[in-house]
Amino acid sequence: MSQIRTKLFGKWRVASRRESHAIWYVFLLPTLLGILLFTVYPLIESLRLSFTRGANERFVGTQNYADVLASETFWYAVYNTVYITVFQLLIAIPIGFLIACLINSLRRSSNLFKVLFYIPNATSMVAAATVFLAILHPDGPLNYVAQLLGFEKVVWLSQPTSAKWGAIILSVWHWLGFVIIINLANLQAIPIEYYEASAIDGATPFQQWWRITVPNMVGSLTILFVLGWIGGLQRFTDAYMLGGLQGSPARSLHTVVGFIFERGFGGNEYGIASAAAYILFVFILIFTYINTKLLRMKI
Amino acid sequence: MPGMQDRRKLINGVIFILLTVLACTMIYPFAWMISVSLERTANLAMPFPPRLIPGDFSWFNYRLVFENNALLQAYWNSIVIAVFSVTFSVGSALLGGYAFSRGDFKGKRLLFFTVLATMMIPFETRLIPMFTMFNDLGMINTKYPLILPSFVNALGLVLTKQYFDQLPEGLRESAKMDGAGEFKTFFYIFVPLTGPITATLAILSFQDSWNSFIWPLVVINDQDLKTVPLFLSSFSAENGSRLAGVTMALATMSILPLLLVFLFFQKYIIRSVALSGLKGE
Repeated sequence: MSQIRTKLFGKWRVASRRESHAIWYVFLLPTLLGILLFTVYPLIESLRLSFTRGANERFVGTQNYADVLASETFWYAVYNTVYITVFQLLIAIPIGFLIACLINSLRRSSNLFKVLFYIPNATSMVAAATVFLAILHPDGPLNYVAQLLGFEKVVWLSQPTSAKWGAIILSVWHWLGFVIIINLANLQAIPIEYYEASAIDGATPFQQWWRITVPNMVGSLTILFVLGWIGGLQRFTDAYMLGGLQGSPARSLHTVVGFIFERGFGGNEYGIASAAAYILFVFILIFTYINTKLLRMKI
Repeated sequence: MPGMQDRRKLINGVIFILLTVLACTMIYPFAWMISVSLERTANLAMPFPPRLIPGDFSWFNYRLVFENNALLQAYWNSIVIAVFSVTFSVGSALLGGYAFSRGDFKGKRLLFFTVLATMMIPFETRLIPMFTMFNDLGMINTKYPLILPSFVNALGLVLTKQYFDQLPEGLRESAKMDGAGEFKTFFYIFVPLTGPITATLAILSFQDSWNSFIWPLVVINDQDLKTVPLFLSSFSAENGSRLAGVTMALATMSILPLLLVFLFFQKYIIRSVALSGLKGE
């Protein structure tokens, strides 16, 4: 029957197929138009701007890149960004992993803890940072606890190093819930048979954790590290909220994106800002590439 | 082995207490924020030592916040922007995900790769041309720049594609047998089945829209058009550590809608976070 129909309506079917080809582009129209206008065009235009300078967009070759790479402010911004991000990751990932392991070991109330730990991440960074401006106040709770423990009172946002640590504490607190959720999802993906088999062999819970859980999690922890690194390179809101446009005190909270923002919108230097944006882009591409490699290795 | 059982119970109890202490530390900043927001004198000096029960309980700060129309205006702006952003980003993800899942057309692989590639391009690299483009269109200090870019939802598109991939192929065949076109099949057969993924995407894009900061900071200067995060950040920047009580009342009110959304949909949100995190950003 269907053969006969194919024979009879062969031509008609071909025409219909072509028609249905075109319709898929209609389905994709919003996405493709959006990508063209808000991704492809800005990406090319940003590259063009990075070779120009001034309101008349005079072509200056690679001068902007040279100027950015020779700028001490830029390198200090890179240093700040890397400093805050490295400590954020080194603190949040191990602690988040341990907390996830503890939550995972509970049979009951694990959902309650998941929710409680995730709440800071569910709030906006602006609100979180506003609260932390008060937490870091000289008479705020953080100093109160520090003094109870016998430490000196710290005026957190007045010294470059303590200001960066203020930003680190804020970002760890805000990000920890995300780390826990990702770790919990990956912990639950470890086959239960591994644990059952080792229990028969008489392994203690700690041995199981060290010999099964940790080796199975190294891969996803690495991916989390790279993801956090890519996100951290783009940090702006936390540093801006604590340190303002210039990243006060003494530019110690000035980040790479802060540099782009300040030169682009503070100084209208679109060329310099675009060159810095492209330098950031190249770094992020490199780490994204590493991440896709890691994901493919599926360690 | 009753001994083993008891030890297991003891360890569980210790873990439970440890987690409770840690969770309280995580929640403490919010509890303290609410406490400060309920103290009128906190506007003069930070209450010291820090306390969770307000020393002189008063609604003064909240009354001040609501008597001034600025916060309500900011809420309205954020809500309008979020409603349009969520609609556009979820709509375009569903349409695009369906096309990539069920469609058969030239350039499918290349286009899908293009969509994936957009996920790797940081917003900061596009920031300046985005500004100049909307500036040339005369759309600075309007809601358009905060709404229109939400048509690009690459992660959402990939997630919907995977969702549609799981649905049986027979659905489409039988609809076609009945003579329904692709759009009819999509709207009447497939869209009604997308409840869970639509909810997930809507929550993710609502959070994105409600929390977004750097882009509104660039395109909005007008006081009447400020979104909630913009209003909060400018208020806190103008007043520094003065007016801590009012600032904390504002912070509480800015967190509240998102917190309610989170508590209502926590299962969806936690699952979608795990999903989006595993896929990468």
